[in-house]
Amino acid sequence: MKKYIYFLALGSILSGLATGVVSCSKLIDEPQKSAYAPTNVDEKAGNWKTYVLAAPTDIAIAEPKSISSAEYQAEVASLKQKATNLTSDQQAAVTYWGAGAAYRWNEIGRELCARYNIPPASTPDGKYPVPDATNPLADPKFPFANPPYASRALAYLSVAQYDALVSAWYYKYKYNRVAPAKTDAALKPLLPVSTLPSYPSEDAVVATASVVILKAMFPGEVPYLEAKLAEHRNSRLWAGMNVESDLAAGEALGSAVAAKVMTRARADGMSAANNQTVTAGMIQAAKDRGLAEVWVSQESPARPPMLPNYGAVQTWNFDKTTLIKLRPGPPPVLNDANYEKDMNELRQVNKSQTRDQARIANYWSDGAGSYTPPGHWHRTAANTAHDAQYSEVRMARTLALVGTATMDAAVGCWDAKYYYYYPRPQQFGMKTSVGLPNFPSYPSGHSTFSAAAATVLSAIFPDKASEFAAEASEASVSRVYGLIHYRFDSNAGLEHGNKIGAYAVERAKADGSGL
Amino acid sequence: MKTSLTFLIVAALLTPFAAKAQMPHDAIYMGKKQLCVAGMYGYSSWNQYWENSFKRENFNIGTLTTQSVMVMPAYGISKRVNVILSLPYVWTSASAGNLMGQRGVQDISAWLKVKALVVGGFSLHGIVGASIPIGSYVPDFMPMSIGMQCRTATARLLANYKHTPTGLYVTAHGSYGWRSNIKIDRDAYQADDRVYNVNQVRMPNVYDAAVRLGVLRKGWQTEVFAERSACLDGDNIRRNDMPFPTNNMQSTLVGWYGKFQPRHIGVNARVGYVVDGMNVGQSTSYTVGVLYQINFNK
Repeated sequence: MKKYIYFLALGSILSGLATGVVSCSKLIDEPQKSAYAPTNVDEKAGNWKTYVLAAPTDIAIAEPKSISSAEYQAEVASLKQKATNLTSDQQAAVTYWGAGAAYRWNEIGRELCARYNIPPASTPDGKYPVPDATNPLADPKFPFANPPYASRALAYLSVAQYDALVSAWYYKYKYNRVAPAKTDAALKPLLPVSTLPSYPSEDAVVATASVVILKAMFPGEVPYLEAKLAEHRNSRLWAGMNVESDLAAGEALGSAVAAKVMTRARADGMSAANNQTVTAGMIQAAKDRGLAEVWVSQESPARPPMLPNYGAVQTWNFDKTTLIKLRPGPPPVLNDANYEKDMNELRQVNKSQTRDQARIANYWSDGAGSYTPPGHWHRTAANTAHDAQYSEVRMARTLALVGTATMDAAVGCWDAKYYYYYPRPQQFGMKTSVGLPNFPSYPSGHSTFSAAAATVLSAIFPDKASEFAAEASEASVSRVYGLIHYRFDSNAGLEHGNKIGAYAVERAKADGSGL
Repeated sequence: MKTSLTFLIVAALLTPFAAKAQMPHDAIYMGKKQLCVAGMYGYSSWNQYWENSFKRENFNIGTLTTQSVMVMPAYGISKRVNVILSLPYVWTSASAGNLMGQRGVQDISAWLKVKALVVGGFSLHGIVGASIPIGSYVPDFMPMSIGMQCRTATARLLANYKHTPTGLYVTAHGSYGWRSNIKIDRDAYQADDRVYNVNQVRMPNVYDAAVRLGVLRKGWQTEVFAERSACLDGDNIRRNDMPFPTNNMQSTLVGWYGKFQPRHIGVNARVGYVVDGMNVGQSTSYTVGVLYQINFNK
């Protein structure tokens, strides 16, 4: 009998454990964003300054049928039908897209950057194949969405959203067709309705503009993007927010504006950004200026440097002459006292990195497989603007300012990196806890991106200026703690980024939005 | 640091340790009020790994080496109920590239082993275990990380048949392991083909199963074994990307284990080789230990 007591004891331990295990939830509480009626609908945004459009009327949008017309009445009747008896999936779609059109499409843009941010693998003959835009899903996938690529993809995404919304606002207040729910009390919309006129639909404008840009930037994702587009469109019907003609006009406007934005993109010099033939001249010039040891790839086999000609890509908020004028001064001569001071700091971290240094390095690493530092700052911008309950057009403006500033930072930083061609600390024996980027060291890209973005965000949200500055400074020093930058790289990048961000702020002050 | 490490290893090897060594995966028990302390050193390395199911090398890692020293006491509450504890210190290094090696105290584990049923040479055992991280190591700097930072709970059923006259035995076990979610330093990461905008990471649960065939005599033991361990779900390492804690890691390992314990002091050794896997390194591992047994009945 005694043996069965053990058996029973074991049985109860096991069942107790099983209960404990099952009751331990493994759900992940991701922060959820919900819908809001904007604190200010920005009625005058139709006159705000655009980036690519010459005028909000560049694309003509026909006058809608009046709310008393039979056609409109029929649309509202159809809407009432679509907006009833929703499935839980349909309700989930309404909630998801209700967080904001520009907000969600920016998030989708960041997601695609992360999914495509993997450096190509080397082939058995020691070469690195170049991703092919005409065969985007082959190995290596196109694009390699590294930080400069991501900065550009997100900048064009936000600019297209913004220009299209400015034009949409112009027509909204020109035609003043109110939201369907205001024409029929029997229609119960699932999202907050503001005073904003609903023709053309701002959601349709943002969705179609975004899809045009993202299809061009991520050509392997056409089915994914079209599914998102369809869901977004349907969510406006399920929510009872837009009639068909609101959506159709928005789609026509969004796609036409984005096509104009893509015309600029195709001619901005990106196609030559990976021109590897320019490096020989850059290396020679850096040596001629006295650099004793130039940057060399630390990967095996040696990988061609990332986008050596990206510094020649067209900027947004200043011209080429200004770009050269803003370029940071030279880094310390290798092995001089300033160099040694910062190198000694790295030797110390290399020997005994603290857990807190590792934490900071990891938090800001934004390396392979992430949405990169430009994505990190877009996320901060989108969340801050969402918390401030910005209108769609002001949300897009915020993202466009941050987006153009971070792309300008990428261009300026890449220009400086390849001008100086300065070696990474790994050429002098340092390890890294975050992974080593494959391009010259000075100045630090993280620092330039972060300072540019923080400068813009501080101007838009002055109450949070000290937070943004602290974040930029932590992002900057994270690269020292991760051992891939000397402190002088980080400091020069911060200073450079602040100057670059200031040009976007100057534009913001004069864009008619009342900043 | 190097000096203190050497000291630890030497200390681990020299300290007197137990003999009737037993593990959470065998049918050996300490008698009542018997304590066996094992001090073990482990060395494991790989120069090829499975990226998803694609086997490859990585010139920017070269050979990845993981070493550990571990203290593992086992105590007999009764001759049918034993408790086993273990606490390893782990350090990693890569022979190529520039990824920084990691080191630190890893997770403490506790096992309760119960001989539930004995019928002739056949016995059935229930084993439950749990572990909690002790060190604050970084879990997602893979493959350099020394651990995963998750709490675990394991339930294991083990069956053993021993032919007493010869000492020949065969053992089989199967376990289910629950793993807690973990927190990482970043507040965004990619897993399951999407981006999570949060610092919590859902960890897949695991199972393992093993069969062992060996001889256990008064002063010695030798056995060959095969072990299969795998996650129940999880994602795969993306093309040319680094591994991540959410990966569905699977491995099949074969090995040999032996123990020699003429008196209360003994030694043991283990060799393992991963023959197949997914999202893991094809490692070869060696463990040597010193065992010391104390009888508190005297």
